[in-house]
Amino acid sequence: MNVVRLKIPATAEYLDIVRLSLYGVATKLGFSYEDIEDMKVAVSEACNNAVLHGEPESGHAGQIEISYESGDGKLVVKVKDDGTGFNYQEHSENAAPLAGASPSELQPGGLGIYLMQALMDEVVVNTDAGTEVTLVKYVQTQITD
Amino acid sequence: MSAEKFQVDQQESEESIQLHIRGELDLAAALTFRHALEEVVHRADKALILDVGQLRYIDSTGIGIVVSALKIRDELKAPFSVRNIPASIRKLFDLTGISGFLNEGIEGRA
Repeated sequence: MNVVRLKIPATAEYLDIVRLSLYGVATKLGFSYEDIEDMKVAVSEACNNAVLHGEPESGHAGQIEISYESGDGKLVVKVKDDGTGFNYQEHSENAAPLAGASPSELQPGGLGIYLMQALMDEVVVNTDAGTEVTLVKYVQTQITD
Repeated sequence: MSAEKFQVDQQESEESIQLHIRGELDLAAALTFRHALEEVVHRADKALILDVGQLRYIDSTGIGIVVSALKIRDELKAPFSVRNIPASIRKLFDLTGISGFLNEGIEGRA
């Protein structure tokens, strides 16, 4: 298992660096372009939550720790913040695509968590100490004749 | 691969206002996008067209802002459409369920 770690301030301006590093790691593992694009969104969604809800009780801007663990045909991305907690359980239950017959019925909340679940193979959230989101994507093996 | 800075270009014709957005629309770019839309979203006199042909990234932040614009335009009974959707962006639009509301190819109609 190889591990690459990144630690960034929990502010939106650093999120592009997360996508760049993810691209580098995922390319080495042989993920397809489409899988990498999917992972960029899913990991960004986890980081968005860390930026928006991950402020520690001290009130100072916190940090986000991202790790990329590769091995056994999969990439495990962990996004951890020290925030007081975002109620993932409640929001996860409400995570769904947009529903409604007309624009007036649309409620955009919950899309971020829904996208994480839709774009990754596994999503696990641990809120014991801060919030740690674990996202797993399996490398698709190419079938050759 | 390099991170592409988010940009909005606005053009106006007799029939429509077009917002061309390019680069990566993430949480950092959300305020810029929201402000650009707020400038024009209440203009019911012309059709509003969002051109995403040069958009390289979007997530729930940007999609949420588009939904807000959709709702305002719907309330005003004013035309709103999204055009030139790249394949990777379309996938996200399809997944989130917003695709059916984007009025592609129906520019100028409410």
